[in-house]
Amino acid sequence: MATQGGGKSEVGVNSSPALKPKDWVLLSLRLVAFFATATATIVMALNKQTNTVVVATVGNTPVKVAVTAKFQQTPAFVFFVVANAMASFHNWMMIVVEFYGHKIDYKGLRLAIIAILDMMTVALASAGDGAATFMADLGKNGNSHARWNKICDKFHAYCDRGSGALIASFIGLLILLIINVMSISKLLKPKHTAYIGVP
Amino acid sequence: MITKTWKMIFTLSLRLLALTATLAATLVMVTAHDSAEVLNFTFKAKYSYESAFKYFVVAEAIASGYSLIVLFLSSKNSFSRLVMILDMVVAMLLISSVSAAMAVAQVGKKGNSHAGWLPICGEVAKFCNQATGALISGLLAAIIYLLILIYSLHTDYWS
Repeated sequence: MATQGGGKSEVGVNSSPALKPKDWVLLSLRLVAFFATATATIVMALNKQTNTVVVATVGNTPVKVAVTAKFQQTPAFVFFVVANAMASFHNWMMIVVEFYGHKIDYKGLRLAIIAILDMMTVALASAGDGAATFMADLGKNGNSHARWNKICDKFHAYCDRGSGALIASFIGLLILLIINVMSISKLLKPKHTAYIGVP
Repeated sequence: MITKTWKMIFTLSLRLLALTATLAATLVMVTAHDSAEVLNFTFKAKYSYESAFKYFVVAEAIASGYSLIVLFLSSKNSFSRLVMILDMVVAMLLISSVSAAMAVAQVGKKGNSHAGWLPICGEVAKFCNQATGALISGLLAAIIYLLILIYSLHTDYWS
């Protein structure tokens, strides 16, 4: 029962609940991408900073107002959190399917489904990254032509955490791209492995 | 073979559509400008005043140049893997640039009250409308590139 690459043909008989996968490189890349995108999701989702600003002075006591910066205030950051959450969920499911999914009948479409899902995840993650990067740039430098002031000088910790989440997400996107190229090349390998198991 | 001709025609027409969409997005965004007098200062709007729109124009220009070059490449097997990988990179570039430009355009249209950013589309409506057209064209270009990728996977896998 010689198979090539990481795919398991449905012809094999397996009684153990979990299998040893043959493609450790792809699996470890998926693990790293999962951790990177999950880090990005969690760091951005917990990103919040409150500043107290003195607004006026009544007699001797200053009147303080709490101003909060949260990720929910920017739709681009909400999209960033959602996209990275879906990317990490996709990688997690791919790892689980690699170990435990050998009993499911894919009707020969396993590699194609994996390649197409990988492509969709790369598209989603790159969209989320692009939007969040430029919104962060807007918050860091403002836009003098549109009279939009920067906010990073008042909310240092919020901006730092946001940048950290962005960097983690870029690493995840790069690894997702490599994974996608690898799964597409696995899909398009020469088809002489399709005849294994035919008597 | 007749099916091979139809596949080639379909791929070529998809790539031609992508070229049109990216070219339109670039040109419409570059020529979008408006100015308005608010109180006593002039309010000008151009694509180069915002880095997300600059990134959008550059990405669409790269994608249209790439589409033009690939149009003249016949589907020789020695190049097809490279073309597929480059297709994926260009699609990723397009998607991220459209997303970034849309994020900033949304702030321009609705503002962000938490950050104290006022919307600008009320003052420079001509710029906003042209930018919206360019963004729609860019979105269509990104979708067409994804279709090109999926279709070339389909023809290679089931050839």
